[in-house]
Amino acid sequence: MSEYLQLKSLEGLIESFLQKVVNLKQDRLSVLDGVNRLDDIARLNDDGSEVTDEIGNWFAEHNNWLNENVLSGGELGRVGKMLSEIKSGFQVGDQCSPADKKIINEIERWTKFAGVTHKSRKFVLKRGPEEQIENGNSDTISKFGEYLDRVADIYKDLSGNSKHIMSVLDSSLKSALLQKNKEALILSAYIIYYLKQNGYLTGAYVKRLKKAEEIISKQEKSNA
Amino acid sequence: MLNRFEKSYCLALLNLKKKDYRSALENFNLAAGTFQKDKEFNLIWKSTELLIEVKKKLAETDNEMIEIEEVL
Repeated sequence: MSEYLQLKSLEGLIESFLQKVVNLKQDRLSVLDGVNRLDDIARLNDDGSEVTDEIGNWFAEHNNWLNENVLSGGELGRVGKMLSEIKSGFQVGDQCSPADKKIINEIERWTKFAGVTHKSRKFVLKRGPEEQIENGNSDTISKFGEYLDRVADIYKDLSGNSKHIMSVLDSSLKSALLQKNKEALILSAYIIYYLKQNGYLTGAYVKRLKKAEEIISKQEKSNA
Repeated sequence: MLNRFEKSYCLALLNLKKKDYRSALENFNLAAGTFQKDKEFNLIWKSTELLIEVKKKLAETDNEMIEIEEVL
């Protein structure tokens, strides 16, 4: 295999991995994007800029967050605090325009839902540390991240002296079968799927994968 | 508000979604100040860095191939 083809293969592998990461985080990315935009609006508001249109558009786009319980507790609290900060930049009383009144009402609806109360600007200064964005899912996320690390390490070890991805797959399947290594099993399945998506014939490897899966599964049952 | 590291991490992931790997790497580099001990962050950051290097090498190889064709 030429260097060019090897590089193309590696490029495809990494791109595929990164897109899978993105797909895995798809729901959270949409939330992150919205929180990031609200943060931008809060900063504009701090600078004294007019943000009525921006925040109005933001509400229109993210109205479903409240109805569909999209946000975790931590995220909701954080959004509520940003909205509180934004509200503090709006004029209240007779000088308040109808559009601003509508925005203030919407902010109050959100902050009430988020459990944030805003008696004065002092509340903004008392907000909690930035790390509050962490939520209950972080444990499973970090566990999966660590698992990916281990699988990536195995791939690195096996691919060091190999000249083709098929050789890596062969070694990975041997490791899964003979050492009953579950991470190698996962890596093998990942490579097989990658090869299948790229038009390779994988039937023989799938058979070996199933055999290794069966053996590992039996061992896990006997250990339980 | 989000701190600048969180903002950069967030932007980097959004860049990845759009397959804008160069901007993603720039934002990962900015976020690294806080997140470099986070294993998941490191895996995604270094994978993006590797991808950029592979793409650079591919671009060089492409040029070499064109030169060889021209000589032939």
